[in-house]
Amino acid sequence: MDRRRRRTGALAGLALAAAGFLAAATAAEVAQPLQALHWVTPDADPVATFASQPTECLHTPADPAAAQAVEVGRAAFRTPLLLGGQAARVSLTCESCHRSGRGNPEFQFPGASGAPGTADVTLSLFSSHRGNGVHDPRPIPDLSGPRDRLKVAPDQLPAFIRGLIVEEFDGREPPPAVLAGLAAYVRALSPGACPAEARAPLRPATLLADARRALTAADRAYAAGDRPTAILMVAAARARLGLIDERYKALPAEVARLRAADTRLTALQQAMREGRADASTDLARWLRHSRRLEAALAAREAASLFNPTRLKAAANRRLLPKPT
Amino acid sequence: MRVLKIVLLAGVIAGASITGAMAAGGGGGGGMSSMPSDTGPRYDPAEEYAKAIRAIQEKDYKAAARSAQRVADAAPKSLDGWKLLGVAQAGAENWKGAKRAYERAFKLAPEDETVRGGLGLALAKLQDAKAQEQLDWLKARAASCTSNCATLRSLAADVEKAMTPAGATGASAALEHSGLIFSADAGDRAYVQAVGLINEKRYDEALASLDAARAAFGPHPDILTYQGYTWRKKGQFDRAEGYYRQALAIAPDHRGATEYYGELKVERGDMTGARQMLAKLDASCAYGCAEAEELRRWIDAGGEPGL
Repeated sequence: MDRRRRRTGALAGLALAAAGFLAAATAAEVAQPLQALHWVTPDADPVATFASQPTECLHTPADPAAAQAVEVGRAAFRTPLLLGGQAARVSLTCESCHRSGRGNPEFQFPGASGAPGTADVTLSLFSSHRGNGVHDPRPIPDLSGPRDRLKVAPDQLPAFIRGLIVEEFDGREPPPAVLAGLAAYVRALSPGACPAEARAPLRPATLLADARRALTAADRAYAAGDRPTAILMVAAARARLGLIDERYKALPAEVARLRAADTRLTALQQAMREGRADASTDLARWLRHSRRLEAALAAREAASLFNPTRLKAAANRRLLPKPT
Repeated sequence: MRVLKIVLLAGVIAGASITGAMAAGGGGGGGMSSMPSDTGPRYDPAEEYAKAIRAIQEKDYKAAARSAQRVADAAPKSLDGWKLLGVAQAGAENWKGAKRAYERAFKLAPEDETVRGGLGLALAKLQDAKAQEQLDWLKARAASCTSNCATLRSLAADVEKAMTPAGATGASAALEHSGLIFSADAGDRAYVQAVGLINEKRYDEALASLDAARAAFGPHPDILTYQGYTWRKKGQFDRAEGYYRQALAIAPDHRGATEYYGELKVERGDMTGARQMLAKLDASCAYGCAEAEELRRWIDAGGEPGL
């Protein structure tokens, strides 16, 4: 079968297509309250999947420089702006496939997945470099699993990750510190570092803590004169606020607080672009204010989609009956 | 047919919703705080297009014509809107209405065989001698046709029949089933295929796929955006701009169209215009978006980054 025919066959088989993939966009079609619900199997339980998240098996190095590299990688791992092309435009991140640096057995991206937990990494839809005209999804590996099950040796990680970003997802060349940080982050994931509990509740405080960690990494990168990395770290923090926002959509006062916090981060990014000396001061102020934001969000958490009951109602999914 | 589900790729994501940009419906309330055109009903052309297709399938041509007219009003440069209106009016045997619709379509695409067939049929039904001109064109095209000629021949036969006294009533099945895609799934596939083809830089094939998607979904801003993008990559900036402007007329906050139009402005050296597009994206992208960052890179580089 020639390449063209294989492509057609594959596409026809992807009942996809535009459906969920494209559906992530307009409000008219966005029936799901969380964007990530578009990327899991239709029968995935929204509460089991999104009211909590896997715990992270991260071994943080003692050396400050090494720890900073891991933090940079951790934040970049969670920002859509690291990736390019269509992936970035639908807000996919590394974490979409590797939740908390693990795998994602529920992942099913229309057109890109086969069985749940698989993804086609040679898809023209995402890549202008690696499309092979064949629908050949592969299992998404658990990055925190046993080392010998990962196909890439630790010393080859930077080149491998660069290929993922630039070729598989059409992203721009990442700043050197970000690429090194991603490799450091993946190396720092280890089965031996897994907490006793496999999952932890996902709360606004969890995401705000991520945002603060990203901003702390941004501050250090900025102090080191690495503006591109610092700006991407701020972008990672903003993306975390966005994930909180989508669960507070019905609470205008909290959304307004989040938007105001985001506006200050937008200004911070601009200050960093301009190389302004007061950027660090602004960043420190944001970190202080974030405690008030966290308290305000916590006060209304029960009314948000961080509340599993509300999430279940909002998702309104028809779950498959459980076997008796 | 299920409701249009395509969305994203062109970059709408989480932002400019078609419904947000349009719809809302109704307005008015009097007073002079705004012009009547600002407060009258507004329609989402892609949604109305889907409604019209459904109505045609159900043989409710008057309802189809109402929806198709809204498409044409909202997106007057959309060939598909006028063609759809022509089919609906022909189905309703409103031949004057069909003639008007096809005349508008003809101005946009004089070489389109279904437009020629529709116009010829309407003129013939109105016993207008100008129908002969369309019939001659169809016959000449059919004579030189080497593949996929059945529709063309059916259109010519329908026009010829309508020009006879015996053919004074009835519509044309060939007209109704040519040029319109009734399956949203087929439209979805065409759209996704187009995006893959664009990534493979197979632009002519991508345009053909986008045409197929447009026939299913009408003037959808995502499709228009990708048509603009593809023409831009082919170096036809004016044509690209036309599509971007159509997309933004339908969905003013469309992220993909705004980004790509900004990139086009960079390529033309209009940095002020590009910065205006970027400011618009920055204002509309809460929590950041890839479209704004990519356009920022273009502006910083004064062209395509990395080239």
